[in-house]
Amino acid sequence: MAKFTQMLEEKVMPVAGRIAGQKHLQALRDGLILTMPLIIVGSIFLILGFIPIDSYPQFMADTFGADWLTKLLYPVNATFDIMALIAGFGIAYRLAEHYKVDPLNAGAVSVAAFILSTPYFTLFTPEGADAAIQVGGVLPMAFLGSKGLFVAIIIALFSTEIYRWVIQKNIVIKMPDGVPPSVSKSFVALFPAFLVILVVWVIRLLIEKTSFETLHNVVGKLLQEPLGALGGTLVGGLIAVLLIQLLWSTGLHGASIVGGVMGPIWLAATDANRLALQAGKEMPEVITQQFIDIFIYMGGSGATFAFAIMMLLFARSQHAKQLGRLSIGPGIFNINEPITFGAPVVMNPLLLMPFILAPLALVVTTYIGMTTGFAPKTSGIAIPWTTPPIIGGYLATGGNWRGAAMQLINLAVSFAIYYPFFKMWDKQNYETEKSAAN
Amino acid sequence: MNILLCCAAGMSTSLLVTKMEAAAKLEGIDAKIWAVSANEVKNHLDDADVLLVGPQVRYLLPQLKKTGEEKGIPVDAINPVHYGMCNGAEVLKFAKNLIGS
Repeated sequence: MAKFTQMLEEKVMPVAGRIAGQKHLQALRDGLILTMPLIIVGSIFLILGFIPIDSYPQFMADTFGADWLTKLLYPVNATFDIMALIAGFGIAYRLAEHYKVDPLNAGAVSVAAFILSTPYFTLFTPEGADAAIQVGGVLPMAFLGSKGLFVAIIIALFSTEIYRWVIQKNIVIKMPDGVPPSVSKSFVALFPAFLVILVVWVIRLLIEKTSFETLHNVVGKLLQEPLGALGGTLVGGLIAVLLIQLLWSTGLHGASIVGGVMGPIWLAATDANRLALQAGKEMPEVITQQFIDIFIYMGGSGATFAFAIMMLLFARSQHAKQLGRLSIGPGIFNINEPITFGAPVVMNPLLLMPFILAPLALVVTTYIGMTTGFAPKTSGIAIPWTTPPIIGGYLATGGNWRGAAMQLINLAVSFAIYYPFFKMWDKQNYETEKSAAN
Repeated sequence: MNILLCCAAGMSTSLLVTKMEAAAKLEGIDAKIWAVSANEVKNHLDDADVLLVGPQVRYLLPQLKKTGEEKGIPVDAINPVHYGMCNGAEVLKFAKNLIGS
């Protein structure tokens, strides 16, 4: 076991540090966060649109008219459905900050480049017609939302790389002496932007020559769909959670680091369920952002809510009693640094066992629960990861008590896994305290 | 004395802020202590005399230390055990020492 922690310290830590500090992944992570407040606000309207009471739709239609739902979901369209646009801007902004070039300009250029890689028409089948007709003068909403998320990410990173390269190589428009500095400055922003637009334009023209037709199809078929399929499997979920736990075992913020890679995949999965909810179809995805945040990490990374309860109720040692009182409050809101660093769990072989095992077990139980239909899948309602257990499961499944029941089962499972280790740990503490007192 | 704390989302460090404020009050020190998320640090650094980083984001330390050096602000990671037990007095002492050195 000592070898294991040594391996974590020497092998996992440095690699994790490098990955976490990698500027593109960091920009991706920090930029994607820009979408969250909007999506959470949109979710409030989404919940109101789909309250699972049989008489509710009829009541709403009688009160507000037959098209109540369409009107109620306007804010959803303005938040969920433009997540790619917002994410692209945010990622370009954050990456430009790293390179110390003007982030606002880089963000604006990235948005333009993203639109440039998106078709300006959509296919529409009129009622009674057999074939779809092409409608011009529109941007397909789907591509501005989760379906275009990966394109937006790639374009944001790519366009900002060109943008900062041009500036750092000092390939800017030099004005002759005598031109006021602020005039020449206004030209500076033009050349990098021009080059980005030029390159993306050429790429679009080239792709239009192929059977893919648009960049969205290329990225969708070659990247987003395979990655989404992989991330959506039970094994994919287990690997991601295992990595998060191994990182936390060394004291590094695993969710934040792994989230840089898995964030877009889980977010797209969340939105796939949201779209299914709105269309009244079967929800396709089990493993979503809320699956991880709400059903696995109850009490924080490591599913430590059960452990906090144990310390509060069953501790004999002063250390555990004190930590129990300290950690239960933040634990209710899924924050557990007092436990990971205070117990400590980090680099502590005894507590690392349940810390790694419990979340993995919960991935399995929740996956089984949601695929057998015992518990509903998360319905695309994005609630903050700080939403307390039980309430979280209820809301994330669109107000279904079975979601809360699934969390109760998970709480029991994690309790059973933590308990024997808690007993041993508490006993150790108790005896150390007793011998120190003598 | 202006003490800036930072972690992934600025949430768990905000726990520590309250404890440090209490410790400062007890010692009669006039201190402004606040916590922000990692991507906001840059915008707050100019108002700070010292930056303390949560142990879970210590992978950002090299980068933040460099930024701190440019501005002449000491930057270091918080001791994990003091962090976990929310030991406001110890972390406050640590901050004072960093500013003093």
